[in-house]
Amino acid sequence: MKTNTNYKESVEQAIANPKLSKALHLFGDAYLIARENAYRGLDFEQMRTELSDIKEEVRLNRKELLAEFIKNAEAAGSKVFLAKNTKEANDYVIKLAKSKDAKLIAKSKSMVSEEAHFNKAVQAHGIRAAETDLGEWIIQLAGQRPSHMVMPAIHMFKEEVAELFSKEAGKTLTPEIKTLVDHARTRLRQEYFDADIGLTGANFLVANTGGIGLVTNEGNARLCATLPKVHVVFASIHKLVRNIEDAIKITRLLPRNATGQLLTSYVTWIKGCVPCDGEQKEQHIVLIDGGREALYESKACRDALKCIQCGACANVCPVYQTVGGHVFGSIYISAIGVILTAFYEGLDKAKDITRACIGCRSCVAVCPSKIDLEEIILHLRNEVTKEYGMGVIKNVAFKAVMKNRGLFHSMVRAASKLQRPVTHKNRKEGEPRIIRHLPLHFLDRDFTEWRDLPSIAPKSFRDQFDTIPQTLFNPDYKVGFFVGCGADFVYPEVGVSLIKVLNSLNVEVVFPKGQNCCGIPALYSGDTETGLDLAKQSVEAFTEAEVDYVLSICPTCTMAVKRDFVDRLADHPQWAAKARELSAKTMDASAFLENVLGASQKLASTTTDQSVTYHDSCHLKRGSNVYKEPRALLKSTGITVKEMKNSDRCCGFGGTYSFLSHPQISKQITADKVSAIEATGVKTVAMDCPGCMIMLKGAVGKANESIRCVHTIELLAEAIDNNKK
Amino acid sequence: MANQHLEQFIEVAKRVGAEVLQLEDLEAAAKYISSVASGTTLVPETPLAVKHNLRSLLAAEDVEVFSGNFREAGHVPAGGVTFCNFCMADSGTVVLESTDESIRLATTLPETHFVIVDPEKILEDNLAAVTPMTQMHTGSDPKFVAYITGPSRTADIERVLTIGCHGPRELHILLVNNVSSDLMEN
Repeated sequence: MKTNTNYKESVEQAIANPKLSKALHLFGDAYLIARENAYRGLDFEQMRTELSDIKEEVRLNRKELLAEFIKNAEAAGSKVFLAKNTKEANDYVIKLAKSKDAKLIAKSKSMVSEEAHFNKAVQAHGIRAAETDLGEWIIQLAGQRPSHMVMPAIHMFKEEVAELFSKEAGKTLTPEIKTLVDHARTRLRQEYFDADIGLTGANFLVANTGGIGLVTNEGNARLCATLPKVHVVFASIHKLVRNIEDAIKITRLLPRNATGQLLTSYVTWIKGCVPCDGEQKEQHIVLIDGGREALYESKACRDALKCIQCGACANVCPVYQTVGGHVFGSIYISAIGVILTAFYEGLDKAKDITRACIGCRSCVAVCPSKIDLEEIILHLRNEVTKEYGMGVIKNVAFKAVMKNRGLFHSMVRAASKLQRPVTHKNRKEGEPRIIRHLPLHFLDRDFTEWRDLPSIAPKSFRDQFDTIPQTLFNPDYKVGFFVGCGADFVYPEVGVSLIKVLNSLNVEVVFPKGQNCCGIPALYSGDTETGLDLAKQSVEAFTEAEVDYVLSICPTCTMAVKRDFVDRLADHPQWAAKARELSAKTMDASAFLENVLGASQKLASTTTDQSVTYHDSCHLKRGSNVYKEPRALLKSTGITVKEMKNSDRCCGFGGTYSFLSHPQISKQITADKVSAIEATGVKTVAMDCPGCMIMLKGAVGKANESIRCVHTIELLAEAIDNNKK
Repeated sequence: MANQHLEQFIEVAKRVGAEVLQLEDLEAAAKYISSVASGTTLVPETPLAVKHNLRSLLAAEDVEVFSGNFREAGHVPAGGVTFCNFCMADSGTVVLESTDESIRLATTLPETHFVIVDPEKILEDNLAAVTPMTQMHTGSDPKFVAYITGPSRTADIERVLTIGCHGPRELHILLVNNVSSDLMEN
């Protein structure tokens, strides 16, 4: 797929301007602390499961709920208009404004009005829309679009705001936040009094009352809904809830997840035509579909409509923190923005940003509606690939080579020999050879500018396995080892270590040779056909092996076997049951060691006196919920684990993401990780993922030669060796 | 009997930026308001305000009680004084049924909002508010209910929390016993 040049430029521009990224990092760190405090004493998992169920009910009964809402709203005096798209919605308000001879509309925040380009639409008819939300007013003055759902002007600095305000006011304002907020307060107060129409959004459309709910902080929505004689509610149809109870339950999550507040300053419930200056107010509710019904009909993507627009997926996203919302998004930004852009603005508009997700699942972990954003984005990436292709490199690599196991593995063997001229002795004694410089003139990038690349091991794990002696008399378990490409071809020593550790605990390891790549690189690039084929090969191999458990030392492979194989093969009757069976007995090696074998008790006699910091791999922590286990195992050997800042933040690898689609973003994310490691002052960083090892060994190697990157299993094997001495 | 959620309510309301005072009676509340508010003060004639002669109590303490249409009290009056329907301890929130426009104007326009709360009306949390909220919304009459938690705020410039954006800059919660324990009344 050819990347849009404008998009590429915007990424480069964002990276060239680190001021914004720095601010977003600070914000992201503060957000995590505030959020944690806000949920103290509450069960987030239970709360978000309930919210997800509430939204699922809404989807199933949306037609009835919509009818109920309209009936109740009309009974309270509201006029309700159903708009198929944003243009119809704009036209309705324009017509209304003209019939009232209205010249000014005071607006509080409404994301769907951004989607409708409402301000521009009414302006064309001589009607001025005055944004009164501070952030919205700032970007209106700047002629921009929001870069965050909750804080639209998060990308701007006070000096820029002062300049905008000064220009508008015709006097110089100092770039002091308090002064600027005061100015907005005074200046915008006039607008509510002057406006003919007040327009608000709605966080809830409560079906059984016909009322709306607004969750706000500044107080402008209350003024917009109170002072003007006409109140227009501009809302999208997926804001429906059954009743006040459901809406209240959402208010328990929304502020906590958005800003770490227990509740926003205001939650306002408005039903019908309330009194207004001695008369009854006129209230119009414009309900907008704008692509939502189509999204509800998409089985793979419809969970996106469970979104309550808290913006958390941006707050925790390493890509968003690196490039900001104007690059990673359109009207809606970050993970949810990728999905909504595809449905509301078209796949073409979303094709670049579907590839900008690094797949770290940090958004999934914080989503209050339990949306599997990453999975939906993967699905869309697949659609993008179908529509626009995948690019030559990936086409050849996945379709022609990887699917053919014999060819793939002999090519790796050949590459291991052919790479010799470009590999170098490792900076560290005893470590495998690395690639410090790899000029690829046919590509417009240098893969080794900021990191070393690992060399392909002289002998892959699959070629070594038969030579590793396992002398167990009566093993407790027979486990199959799903090696994964990283450990097979780059770090076979991790596999060797695993055998040592498992044997010492009386577990026998078998290696079914028919296994192939887990297929994630192909799948993440949108090539499901290759993914399907690869799943079948490995399911077959492990089914034949008849083992008690299947272990992997790569969390992405673990996730693939546990989740994706089952999904990929669900509609293939001869494969579905086998895939499920394999899934049930597959787990990460650390999880097996700790949860099945209780290894931290058994390893307690080993002694290694060293300090280690631990990096949580995205797919291990958020894919398999494994993070306590490796720490317990390490500590049991006498190792002191010194935690780094944001230990579960992505290392920047993301597979082909760091090589082909977004190496420039990866570089920034990796730099964050390297400084977090360095700040601990510890000389060893442990992890449980060969992908993270490729990234961190490479980047740490270039940045700080004295730090060692190692797989947890290797440290355990060393501890066992130490003990033998 | 002391409300079991009182302590939590006070603590959380203070944490979100409200001033909270426990006062002997409404006369003491009026004295306090007089000591803080200087200028036009909006006092809606709600059933509780009428019942307790709130306007007279305030006027007796030289509070400038505005007597006309609140829309003509200027863009930013000095104060607004109301009662409330109930409160939620876990978030430090006061809830006002504000269908009557004068209540809305008295709680949105002024610099300072004084709200008189009978501790009897403090509920545990917003889940406990589901019943009274549902009760308020029965029938097809138009309705406007406001949850108010601390003063107006924004973090829209550089994510720095700034108090007093478009609503009142200050929220003073005055706890006075024996005002009303009816959650449907303010």
